[in-house]
Amino acid sequence: MTLFLSSIVLFVLIRQAPGDPITLLLEQPGDLSINDASLLEERKQELRELHGLNDNVFVQYKNWFTKVLRLDLGTSIWTGRSVAQEITTALKATLILAFAALVIQVVLGIGFGILSAVRAGGFKDNVIRLLCVMLASVPGFVLSLSLVYFFAVRYRIYEMSSDINLYRVWLPAMAAALTNAPRTIRVVRATSLTEMGQAYTLFSKSCGVSKRIIIRDIVRNSLLPIITVISISLVQMIGGAIVIESIFSWPGIGSYAVNAIMLHDYPAIQGYSMVTVTAIILTNLMVDVLYILVDPRLKSAPTNG
Amino acid sequence: MKIGRSILGSFLLSFTLLLCGCGLAFANAPIVIAGNEIPISLDPTSYPSGDTMMGVGAAEVLFKADPKGSVQPSLAKDATQIDEYNWEIALRPEATFWSGEPVTADAVIRSIQREGKLNPKASPYLKGIEFSIKSDYVIQAKTETPNVDIPMNLSHYTLVVHNTNEKYTYKSIDTADYTGMYKVVEYEPHKKIVYERNESYWGQKPKTKRIVYEEIGDADARVIAALSGRYHIVLNIPVASKAQFDTSNTSQIVSVPAANTHTIYLNLKKPGLDDPKVRQALAWGVDREELNLLGEEGLSTPVTVWIASNPFYSDFKNMFFDSYNAQKAEELLDGAGWKKAKDGYRYKDSKPLEIVLRTFRTDKAMGEALQIQWDRLGVKVAVRHGDYSLIQDARKTGDWGASIEAWSTFGNVVPMLEGQYSPRGAGNYGGYADDRTNELIGMIANVSDSGERKALVEELSLHIAEESPAIYICPRAQLTAVSTSLEGFVPHFRQFENLVNADMRLKGQ
Repeated sequence: MTLFLSSIVLFVLIRQAPGDPITLLLEQPGDLSINDASLLEERKQELRELHGLNDNVFVQYKNWFTKVLRLDLGTSIWTGRSVAQEITTALKATLILAFAALVIQVVLGIGFGILSAVRAGGFKDNVIRLLCVMLASVPGFVLSLSLVYFFAVRYRIYEMSSDINLYRVWLPAMAAALTNAPRTIRVVRATSLTEMGQAYTLFSKSCGVSKRIIIRDIVRNSLLPIITVISISLVQMIGGAIVIESIFSWPGIGSYAVNAIMLHDYPAIQGYSMVTVTAIILTNLMVDVLYILVDPRLKSAPTNG
Repeated sequence: MKIGRSILGSFLLSFTLLLCGCGLAFANAPIVIAGNEIPISLDPTSYPSGDTMMGVGAAEVLFKADPKGSVQPSLAKDATQIDEYNWEIALRPEATFWSGEPVTADAVIRSIQREGKLNPKASPYLKGIEFSIKSDYVIQAKTETPNVDIPMNLSHYTLVVHNTNEKYTYKSIDTADYTGMYKVVEYEPHKKIVYERNESYWGQKPKTKRIVYEEIGDADARVIAALSGRYHIVLNIPVASKAQFDTSNTSQIVSVPAANTHTIYLNLKKPGLDDPKVRQALAWGVDREELNLLGEEGLSTPVTVWIASNPFYSDFKNMFFDSYNAQKAEELLDGAGWKKAKDGYRYKDSKPLEIVLRTFRTDKAMGEALQIQWDRLGVKVAVRHGDYSLIQDARKTGDWGASIEAWSTFGNVVPMLEGQYSPRGAGNYGGYADDRTNELIGMIANVSDSGERKALVEELSLHIAEESPAIYICPRAQLTAVSTSLEGFVPHFRQFENLVNADMRLKGQ
C-alpha cells in the first residue's frame, strides 16, 4: 500500500515540475539554431506520442503502473534503454559503495564509541568528541574534495576514473563513512554510558568479571540504537550519496537520479523513486527482523496495554 | 656461491622482464580523456553522439573545418560547384566503414537522409538540397536557392557518415558502423567509451592504439582529474579553476574562444523592450570588458555582433557598439521617455523599467554583473538562476525579460542567421520580426561571391545592432587541460569535435 500510494504521489509531483522532457531533449542550449521551428515542433510531437506523453495523467499512470507490476520500469526518454537495466547497473555500484562505507562506519563507530565511553571525561574521549564535532561540521563535498585532492593529486595513491572496482571504492567509502561516523560514535558512546550505569554492569564489575566481557555485554545491549543508526545510513546511501558519487565520479544511483532529474526523464525518475521507496521499506523490515534477533524479548512483548 | 649466482641471475632476469613489460605496457598506454558527458547512445542522430565520435576521430563528416575556420575535404575527396544550383561531391573510393563496406555515394546519401529524418538539428543544413547518385563515388547536390555553401553545410557534426544498412541500429557496439580511424570496442552510456585503432582505416593511421573517454560530470572533479595526472585531455575546465593549473607540472590549460557568442536575448513583447531605443540603450550600457572579466575570467574577447565569434567574421567584433558608453545609454533612455525618478530607477507612465534576467549553468556571475551595470542606468533587474528547463518554461509563459545563452556561430551563415532573426527561427526567442532583416538574409542566401556575402553580413550586422533584438557580449572561453606528457594536441575553436588527431601520442611512445 505504501509503495502504491507513494507511486501515485511521485508520479503526479514529477509531472508538476516545470519543464518538458522532450523540449529538453531536442533543444540543447548552445547548439545549432534551427531555422525552422515548425520542423522541431513536428519532431517533438512524434516523440511525445512515442512516449505516451500526450495521454492524460491517469492514462499515463495506468500504463506505467501496469508495466511496473510486470517488473518493467519503462524506457528512458533520453537513452531509449530499459530503466530497470540502467538502475540495476547503477544500484550495483551504489551497493558496493554503501556496504564498503558501512563497514568502515561500523568499525569506526563502535570502536571509537566504546573507547570514548570507557575513557569518558579523559583525554582520549575529549579528542574523539572533538573530532566528531569537526567531522560533523565539515560539509560532505569539502571532505570529499579534500580527500580526493590529498590522495589523487598530492600523493597519487588514488586513481580517478569512472570504473567500479575495489581499488577505487575505498576513498569514496571513507568519505561517506567519515561523514556518517560521528553520528554512530555519539550513539554508541551515549548508549554505552547508559549501560555502564546499569546494575548488571556494576554487579559484574564488583564480582571481578573481566573488562572484555563487560564491554561485550555492553555492546550487545547497545545494539538496538546502533542498528537504527546504521539502517538510516544504509537508506541514505542507497538513495544515493549524490555529492560523493559526483566528486569521485562513481556511477551510482545518486548520479543517475541527478541526471534523470536534470533531464526530466520521467520513466527514469519514477524508476529511481520506486527503487528508493522499496529500499526504505525493505530496510525497515530488515531492521525489525534484526531487532527481534538481537533482542528476543521483543518477540514476546505485549502488543497493547 | 652457485645459489647466490642463481638468485642474482633470477633477480636480473625478473627485473629485465619487468622492465620489458613496463615498456610494452607504456608503448600501448592509451590516451585518457575526460569530458562532462558520455553520449547516451551510439546513434549519431542522438546528441552528442556525433560530436563525441567525431572528437576522437571515430566518425567523420565529408568536410571539416580546420583550426582557422576554413572548411577542408575530409571523408570526401573534393567538392566542385558546377553552377549556381549544382555541386558535385567526389568521394574516396578507398574509404570504407569499420565493417569494411565501401563508402559509396548511395551509402552517404542514405546516411544524410537518415539524419534529416530523425535529427531536427540536421534539418537547417539539408533544407532545400536534393542529393542524387552521379556515379558510385560521386554525389550530385542540387539546391533550391543559388550558391549554397555545400561543403560548409556538410561539415556539421550532425551529418557524420554512418552505415544505414538494416542491421546497423546503433543500439550497441555491434550494430554501429562509422568510418573513422578509431572504432568503439567498449561502451557504457554516461560512463565510458573505449576506442581502438581501426587497422583498415583508409587514411593516416593514428600513432596511439587506444583511446579511453570517460565521463566526469562534476566540474571540480574534472579539475582534480586533470591535476591527478591520469588524464591526458580534460574538457570543460571551469574558467575559475584556471589558476590551479599555473603551478601544475602535470597539465596545462589550452584556451581557445569557442565559435559561439554569449548573447542576452531580449523579450520584445515586454514593455520597454519593445522599443528599439531602449534595447540600443541597454546595449550601450553593457561594459563587455567587465563582463568578460567577471564571467569568463578575462579569457575571452568582447564582441558586439553575434557573428563575430565565427573566425571568418572576427573583424566585425567591434562593430557599432565600439565602446562602453553609459552616457549615450542614459540619453537614449531619456529620449524613449523612461525618466529617472528619485529612487534612481526609470519610469514611464508610472511603470518602472524592469527586466527579469534568466541565467543557467555558469552564467550566474555574468547575470549578476549585468544586473549591476543596468542598475546604474536605472533599470531594475532581477536575476533568476536555475535549470535550463526553467528558461524554457518561462519562454512559454512569457515570464522573462532577458536570458543569457550562447549559440554556435560556425556553419552555413544563412540558416544560422535565419535561426536567430527570422520569425520562424528557433533561436529567435524574443519574437523579432523585421522586413529589412529578412530581406538582407534573403540577399545573403542568393549571393555567390564570398566577399559580397561578407559585405552583406556586415550590413545585416549593423542593421541588427541598431535594432538590438539581442545584445552580444563575448564568446565562451573554452578551457581544456592537456597533459604535459601528451604530444600533438591541436587547439581548435570547436575543440570537442577535434580532440584526437592521427599524430597524437604520449611522449616517449
